[in-house]
Amino acid sequence: MSSSPTAAEKGGRSEYGVALLLLGLGAWAIVDALGVTDTASRGPVNARTVPIAVGLLLILMAVLLTVDLVRGGRGEAEGGEDVDLSHGSDWRTIGLLVGSFAANALLIDSLGWPISGAILFFGTTYALGARHYVRMALISIVLSVGSWYLFFLGLGIKLPVGLLKGIL
Amino acid sequence: MAIVVGFVPRPEGHAALDRAIEEAKLRRVRLVVLNVSRGDALVDSRFASSSDWEAVKAKLEASGVEHEVAQTVEARDPADQLLRVAEETNAELIVIGLRRRTPVGKLIMGSAAQTVLLDADAPVLAVKAARD
Amino acid sequence: MDGINALIDGFGTALTPINLLYAVIGVVLGTAIGVLPGIGPAMTIALLLPLTFTLEPTQAFIMFAGIYYGGMYGGSTTSILLNTPGESASVITAIEGNLMAKKGRGAAALATAAIGSFIAGTIGTLALALVAPQIVKLAIQLGSPDYFAIMMLAFIAVTTVLGSSKIRGLASLGIGLLIGTVGIDPTSGQQRLTLGIPQLADGIDVVVVAVGLFAVGEALWIAAHLRRNPAEIIHVDGARMNREDWRRSWKPWLRGTLIGFPFGAIPAGGAEIPTFLSYAMEKKLTKHPEEFGHGAIEGVAGPEATNNASAAGGLVPLLTLGIPTTATAAVMLGAFQSYGIQPGPRLLDEQADLVWGLIASLFIGNVILLALNLPLATIWARLLNIPRPYLYAGILFFASIGAYAANTSTFDLWLLLIIGGLGFFMRRFGLPVVPAIIAIILGPVAEEQLRRALQISDGELSGLVNTPFSKVVYVIVVLLLVVPVVIDRVQSRRRGGDQGDQGDGIQDAPSLGHQHANQEGQ
Repeated sequence: MSSSPTAAEKGGRSEYGVALLLLGLGAWAIVDALGVTDTASRGPVNARTVPIAVGLLLILMAVLLTVDLVRGGRGEAEGGEDVDLSHGSDWRTIGLLVGSFAANALLIDSLGWPISGAILFFGTTYALGARHYVRMALISIVLSVGSWYLFFLGLGIKLPVGLLKGIL
Repeated sequence: MAIVVGFVPRPEGHAALDRAIEEAKLRRVRLVVLNVSRGDALVDSRFASSSDWEAVKAKLEASGVEHEVAQTVEARDPADQLLRVAEETNAELIVIGLRRRTPVGKLIMGSAAQTVLLDADAPVLAVKAARD
Repeated sequence: MDGINALIDGFGTALTPINLLYAVIGVVLGTAIGVLPGIGPAMTIALLLPLTFTLEPTQAFIMFAGIYYGGMYGGSTTSILLNTPGESASVITAIEGNLMAKKGRGAAALATAAIGSFIAGTIGTLALALVAPQIVKLAIQLGSPDYFAIMMLAFIAVTTVLGSSKIRGLASLGIGLLIGTVGIDPTSGQQRLTLGIPQLADGIDVVVVAVGLFAVGEALWIAAHLRRNPAEIIHVDGARMNREDWRRSWKPWLRGTLIGFPFGAIPAGGAEIPTFLSYAMEKKLTKHPEEFGHGAIEGVAGPEATNNASAAGGLVPLLTLGIPTTATAAVMLGAFQSYGIQPGPRLLDEQADLVWGLIASLFIGNVILLALNLPLATIWARLLNIPRPYLYAGILFFASIGAYAANTSTFDLWLLLIIGGLGFFMRRFGLPVVPAIIAIILGPVAEEQLRRALQISDGELSGLVNTPFSKVVYVIVVLLLVVPVVIDRVQSRRRGGDQGDQGDGIQDAPSLGHQHANQEGQ
């Protein structure tokens, strides 16, 4: 089950980053736990126990992972039914996706979901390579306005209306 | 000089191919048959399956015209791919198949044919499938 | 047979028009996402978790279970017509199923998959109805130490049984446990790992975690590696199952059910191992060995029955013990928690309407699924014409709306992006996602059991192992950890010791192209 040579080979040094992340998370868990004062619990197990145990597990895994990497082990990038690992990660697409996502998070409270959601959908379809602008715009607006009504009427959740206040 | 035809495995595509073969015979020029896909959906009904493609090749062989076939997947628009090939081969005629569609349907779905008609330097012959 | 009476009452619940409607929605949605590669039941249920804010639990679970079952049906259609599995559970089906379709036997392959799924699903659900009350009778006697032991077993099994690297599996488990710990500790009232951010005091919402890991993480990962080539879909016409096909299918259906159900009930990573076992078994038992590798119907009938039976089996530990064995089950457990229901032995008593209504609706859902899939498989396949940009944009769209709606705060959107990024990097570096999600959802429950067990024993650590049951479970845990390492050592010594990798996957699995072993369905 190793049909992902390119992604795995490129992994190389960046894999040590994973070990570093695990180490950091583990250290954070332990440091945070040491700051917790638990007077309510008796015996050896209290509010600190689980975070410390998890922190130790993460640090141990960081060490073992480093050993594994030094020995030449490589993380196997996850395949999938619609994933093509023969080319590397497409960072431009990822950047545009994250940008659209962030735009929605920044704009949702001021412009309202019907507009920010449409921006999100339009931006993500563009990022993923669609270029039929009319179709993209139509679907974006129908989806965002439709979902606003769906949440409002169907679930009783009022998503922000923003600029369209009084219209919807 | 050559004739470039955009093939799709649908009635209008076959109509376009038949017409292009006739034109190539009349004009005694090379015929370039192109089948392209953006490859953005898992299944593209405009992308000829290997059996469709074999049938196209067989038809061309039987017709006796000088020909060239290409099947490509590129992220760019299929119409752009067709236009680029037309330019490269210095095409004297582009043949495309046209679906019967309502104006609204065209607006939503976009149209590769429209792009070709508007942007092509060579004359474009648009062929529809026979009504059944 | 109290199970049977309760089940009849359950049909009363399931057959009300509104519940029937949700069952239909669930199976239709399930089939659709099953057909679409890249979208699985776990992701879909995660995206639908916001419905739990308003929907009745019974209706929500009827729909979720319909999605779970439907995904198994839909996945086979894509496998057979496209040679790209729609679900990881139908990877094995793709081998012989696609070859059958290429030989012009596609309709027969689709039929044996649909009927096999129906038979296995029905028998599996019946087994669930019969087994669940029995397990509850045993489970009701279990105490906190036993539960804690079972949860440890679930953690270790799901990390070590599948996957190419135990270290990465355990690392993923650790990350999950860490995320699960964020928030106010319910026992002591202390804030843990909240960084002083007030929105984190209540812990990270299960909607945000599940949607982030499965929907956003997966969509980003797929977006970075978009497949460009259109696959060749095989047109299917005529040639339904003939007498010979029936004769050759019915035994694999039953054997597949027999393998799938128990495997689904243990935390061994879902349907992958049992479908592979079923394939291997049918290959061995067939009277037509020459057809394997050229489109043998047994190779479709067996694994397809197996994956549906394993879906039914997976509901047993979920409903009776509150232990999820797959990603989908973990997300469903998350849904139970957001209703404030803790699945476990008392669930069958306290929420009898819910549980038996759910089980009854699974029988009904199976019938609907057969009707939807047997004649309409090729129509479902049209979904594959949807351009990917719209598909994955839709996932991000609904992920955002769901995460925002959880607390109507943009903080959750940023959190969603961070967790989505985590999901992306886990996929990138081979950290399996399933242990993480199970740890996030089950971790806090396990901690509660641990502390309750120690309260009972007055702080004595021996309180964790003072029951025979917990002792047995811990022995199994140790065996799971130690035996593969020992086997590995012995093997690598025989090979000359130069291959010290963690090759503990299925060694002789047929070449499946792009399939990771520890991925149960997004």
